Amino acid sequence: MKLIARIFALSLVVTGAVASAHIANASQPAVGARVSAMPTPMCPPDDPNGCGIGSTN
Amino acid sequence: MNNHAIVDLLTYVELASCLVALCVMQYRRQISQFKPLALLLITRVTSFAILMPVLRMARKQLTVSEAYHIYFYVYWASYAIEAILGFFIIYSIYNLAMAPLRGLQRLGRLMFRWAAGIAVAIAISMAVGPHVTSTKFIIRAVTQLQQTQSVLTLCMLLFVCLAIRPMGLSYRSKIFGVSFGLGVIAAADLVGAAWLSHFSNLYSLYNIVTGSAICITLLIWTGYFAIPEPRRRMIILPTTSPFLRWNQISLALGDEPGYVALGEITPDMFAPAEVEVMRRAAVKMNYPIAN
Repeated sequence: MKLIARIFALSLVVTGAVASAHIANASQPAVGARVSAMPTPMCPPDDPNGCGIGSTN
Repeated sequence: MNNHAIVDLLTYVELASCLVALCVMQYRRQISQFKPLALLLITRVTSFAILMPVLRMARKQLTVSEAYHIYFYVYWASYAIEAILGFFIIYSIYNLAMAPLRGLQRLGRLMFRWAAGIAVAIAISMAVGPHVTSTKFIIRAVTQLQQTQSVLTLCMLLFVCLAIRPMGLSYRSKIFGVSFGLGVIAAADLVGAAWLSHFSNLYSLYNIVTGSAICITLLIWTGYFAIPEPRRRMIILPTTSPFLRWNQISLALGDEPGYVALGEITPDMFAPAEVEVMRRAAVKMNYPIAN
């Protein structure tokens, strides 16, 4: 239990470190979103299609 | 089952998990101890209460433009609040973990406040740039703030993992459980930030992955709050321990100092009572003093 928790926690830290290094080296600024199942509004607010809001597909 | 249906299902599961976690915290009387975490869950539930009906009412009671405007601003505002609350959660976890070593706790708090203040200033200044619209500013500032908070969260998780024994904690303690859950969110957030630019649709694989991550986190938190944690062990440190030494040094830092008078001192600088005390002391020591 102790070893599993420690390995899992360390793997999270390593994943985060790799991802933040990737973000820092990206050519364009990274855009974040809430860690949630809720859809992320990535389009500007005046998008004519509303980023597909209310669509069934 | 398409992406849309899975995202909808995960959204309901997430809302239900948030409410269950809050109820368990309330039942176990842990809300006062983990107030920022409870506030984070309440913010999430409140934003869900607004965003979910807006999604349902889009193209029906609300036009696409109205629905998307409301959705956009409520989403990013709640995201910003959650990012700020994240800093407070890390702060409270640190305070709880370091409670037995008051000196180091105080020193760490001071450093954390500076780090958080600088992080907020950098997030705002990096969002400002040429040709940046208000919309882009909001997205960039909130994203930057959240990424900084995620990095700090992972540092906190590493600290809790390494210092769990010296702090008298165990892997079944709530402090570890909350840090672990936050670590899952932070890692998902950082991976998502690198990945998200590939998606321009509201319902994508990204939502399914992050939705699953948050549901797992809420499950971890509910489990840790539902199960009674073992009592914190007594910390026994050797007298030569650097932890103990630094704690003593940190305790002394910031204390009101004593003062030493140097140079010429005349009796009229003292109150009559003080002069009387010195006179009596001098008489006792057979040492005459000048009037």
